[in-house]
Amino acid sequence: MRDKRSNPLCAIVAVLIMLFLIAPLVVIILASFTPTALITFPPKGFSLEWYANIFSKSNNFISGLANSLKIGLGATVLDIFIGVTASLAICRYDFKGKNMLLNYFTSPMYVPGVSFAFVLLQVYSQVGGVPGWARIFIGHFIIILPYIIRNTVSVLHVFNWTLEDAATSLGANPVQVFFKVTIPLAKPGILAGALLAFLYSFDEVALSSLLSTPRFVTLPIRIMNYMEMSFDPTLAAISTLLILCSLILVVLMEKFVGLDMFMR
Amino acid sequence: MERKRSAMLLALPAALALFLFFVCPMVYILVKTIGENGFSDFLDFFSDPFYLDILWTTVRVSLLSTAVSLILGYPTAYYMARTRSRLKNVMMIIILFPFLVSAVVRAYGWMVILGKNGLLNQLLEAIGLISDPLEILNTETAVIIGMIHLLIPYMILSLIGVLQSIDPNVEYAAESLGASPFETFLKVVFPLSLPGIISGCVLVFTMSMTSYATPKLLGGSKFRMMATMVVQEINVNFDWGAASAISYILMAAILLAQLIIVLGTSRYMKRMGGGKNA
Repeated sequence: MRDKRSNPLCAIVAVLIMLFLIAPLVVIILASFTPTALITFPPKGFSLEWYANIFSKSNNFISGLANSLKIGLGATVLDIFIGVTASLAICRYDFKGKNMLLNYFTSPMYVPGVSFAFVLLQVYSQVGGVPGWARIFIGHFIIILPYIIRNTVSVLHVFNWTLEDAATSLGANPVQVFFKVTIPLAKPGILAGALLAFLYSFDEVALSSLLSTPRFVTLPIRIMNYMEMSFDPTLAAISTLLILCSLILVVLMEKFVGLDMFMR
Repeated sequence: MERKRSAMLLALPAALALFLFFVCPMVYILVKTIGENGFSDFLDFFSDPFYLDILWTTVRVSLLSTAVSLILGYPTAYYMARTRSRLKNVMMIIILFPFLVSAVVRAYGWMVILGKNGLLNQLLEAIGLISDPLEILNTETAVIIGMIHLLIPYMILSLIGVLQSIDPNVEYAAESLGASPFETFLKVVFPLSLPGIISGCVLVFTMSMTSYATPKLLGGSKFRMMATMVVQEINVNFDWGAASAISYILMAAILLAQLIIVLGTSRYMKRMGGGKNA
């Protein structure tokens, strides 16, 4: 059954946009299996050599991946703790300046990544002795906090707080209420926020390219550096693996919290 | 009173972390920059055509990317908000999916397509449309293509929300009162979707003003936008004064743009009586 208000022209544009959106991703996946260094279509055969190349020590992709995971997971977990408590404070209690506080918490979103990175760079050069991982960690820890707070607040905003009172009147203590009622109900927002925050950190380049030291480099910077030296399909192979991970994440999110969570 | 205190206690860790690692550094460096060099770096920026050209390029690319994202994103969102086809879920995944793939990876995809020996040139040469490869990669066109690819999902998501929330009966009413489908769109649907248009445009415009990976990878070494210039001043020219001027001017430009858009439209929204959703 068709909606009377739909328009064939819009359908055509929509389909073309979808093709435009997936074209580069499909191209990358196909290119990763070409046997030649120059990517041609149709590919002249099939090869996995570029995948093997990812693990070659000299490319440092694996150490970059390890660094990115450490920073991304560490910053996300820490931000979940302070972000969820902050969101609770904003949504659970009524006080003046509530909106101001929310704006304060989301303010890092309105500052360009490079500007904040440059400020941190200047502070580090004054303080001195800040280890490589900490230089990037502090930056990521701050810029991803708004994503967790915003998504958690969007769930708690419509939260039925009488459920907490109900649990209390049935004999639950405050800790039980928190872990058995509040957290499970807020979980979709927290998970969506955490996923967006982690991916932001994992994919971030502007901040990392200013703050990384030769001894601590994240994966996106490694990939960008590799591009400057050579353009062989090793890049396609590692990109394909990253696309695959994203695909798995989308499917998991769709299963556990639903994709609507990302539309807020 | 006790409630307020527990609220403050819960918010304290995040508030402190932000204050220590975000507010303090930002304020300290601004005060220090102005204290040491006065406004000379800023004056240098505005008196040098080289820098003014970079600012103009950044604004131009951002305006174009925003306009094209809106023009192509609106019909897409319109279709997605209204279709009952099962394709809708697939489309939703396609829109969300590039969200989760890094800008570096996506730029790489466009490099493979648009490069001198890229797929587009191979295709055009094979069908005999061109004899010499087109130079698209490392131009502004490539940057705008990459930018739209990166940002159109944000525009579409902002629009789908408002388009879905429009009550169909409002449109049926307009139609039964004699409005043509085009009039209904122009006088009913479009004004009601304005909050989504504005939030989408603000989002896309600011993200493209501050983008770094896309212009760096698709624009080549001669193409400069504000964010790539900051990094270049630091890592290549070692000119921290210029870098801080560019970085603060970029920040100010974004705040200004948001202010103009939000103030300019809130007046319009009030007249429309639709300010609630803005």
